[in-house]
Amino acid sequence: MDITVDGPDGYGNDAYAKLFDDIIGDIGKSFMFRKAHLCLKPEVPLFIFSVMLKNHPSSKTIGDVASFRAEGTELHMSISNERYAPDILSRLWKVYGRGKVDQQTRFDLIVHDARQEDIEDMVVSSGEESVKEIMGAFWRSLPEGIRVRHTYVDGRVITVVATEEIMRQEFLDEGLELHQRMLKESEVEEDV
Amino acid sequence: MFEVVKYDGGVYRSNELYEAIEDVGGTVINRMHSAQVLTVTMSIPEEDHEVIAKITKEIGGQLFNVPLAGTEIAVVGCTLGRHHMPHPICDIAEILREEGSISVVMGLARGRGKKTSQISLREISIIDEYDAVIFMLGNFKACVEEKKALMEKISVPVILVCGPEPEGMEDVCEAVISGVGRKAARMKAPEERAKLNEIADTVVKVISEKKAMLEEDPLFIHPAELKPLLESYEPIDMCLRPAPIVLHLDGLRVKIPYREHKEYFDNLMVYGRRLSEIADIRESKMEDSSTIIRIKTMSAVRDQDAKKAE
Repeated sequence: MDITVDGPDGYGNDAYAKLFDDIIGDIGKSFMFRKAHLCLKPEVPLFIFSVMLKNHPSSKTIGDVASFRAEGTELHMSISNERYAPDILSRLWKVYGRGKVDQQTRFDLIVHDARQEDIEDMVVSSGEESVKEIMGAFWRSLPEGIRVRHTYVDGRVITVVATEEIMRQEFLDEGLELHQRMLKESEVEEDV
Repeated sequence: MFEVVKYDGGVYRSNELYEAIEDVGGTVINRMHSAQVLTVTMSIPEEDHEVIAKITKEIGGQLFNVPLAGTEIAVVGCTLGRHHMPHPICDIAEILREEGSISVVMGLARGRGKKTSQISLREISIIDEYDAVIFMLGNFKACVEEKKALMEKISVPVILVCGPEPEGMEDVCEAVISGVGRKAARMKAPEERAKLNEIADTVVKVISEKKAMLEEDPLFIHPAELKPLLESYEPIDMCLRPAPIVLHLDGLRVKIPYREHKEYFDNLMVYGRRLSEIADIRESKMEDSSTIIRIKTMSAVRDQDAKKAE
């Protein structure tokens, strides 16, 4: 992830770039980020965090990340995207029980007495959930006392404007300006 | 003067060590026994160090200096929220324990924020019960300097640990260590370990200065001498809390309620005097299940005697 930081405090800028990177790494969502811009003005105090994601967070079903082959009452599955393997396995265990899900290798499963139509529409990753987790990481990265927040979410760009006491119009304007700049850049960058 | 040292070795012939400690008039502060490994923190007269070193060598153990033993130090963060905990506050508390101190981690109730951060009178009173306090603040110079107000009314030595180098903190802090701000990971890298050692060395220096000041007007009785007397009291002996008696530089924290045992504490005889005559005894501000004993200095006891005689 490409992180740029604006702000008058040199030490704080470097420390927050590292902190933000560590926290995003902790929640396991680094792969979703294209770039981040942090604007840190502790003397105001005003903090603006804006991120551009690689793609629009959307829901993924098992059908999107695995292929199927039916043999009698057995349904053979091959997971094509490793990231979703644990979620798929736990979802199948929950619906069919451990006895009916046979894991051959990390990516190859056999589900007994199951139909492809039932499995392929199961949701393994919800876009809304991902956005919630990213927002949670923002709030963890922002200083604890900076509790008055406003969020802009459009397409692949999420921007949070935060201050300590009163959210002034000029703070919102500054946040919106950065948000629109990131939004314009996201239109140029390819959605992967 | 008494010094505190740590024995690290086996259990074999450890009885000889305990006898030697008793013979020289020392006391065991803490004993940790795990399988065949034994760690004993003890307070012994400085002039008898050689006696203990000799017996330690004979029974195959090692003797270490633990400069912070016999102290209780608080590490204070802005809050107990995940923004400030556990790193690096717990790393600092851990390095202090390695140096022999009993370290306690605390978070202020309303310490977060820049203009809205506050410390209450009760929090100040609780912090003042410790031998020293380490304040762990964040990464922005403007915020650290604004939070000077949190430390202004604290009477015990304050050591400030923060990211940038703040200005104008000299009048409220004994020492300032910069380069450790808010982190989301443990301090494991060599330069971070070096920073932790720098913090420990600074605390040792500050505590040594406080000890030297106490030596100028010594306490009526050293806390380590008082400890064995208190240990013989059944409710303390039966207390299941970890470290039921914690030594401070100028007294002790005893983890039984003062209200219930007032009679015992006030009338305990020490060198022919009642404990209430030679020490200030009160309930801990943190919780009413602990008692704080602050031993008076020789001169304070003499003054008290003179006033009585008038």
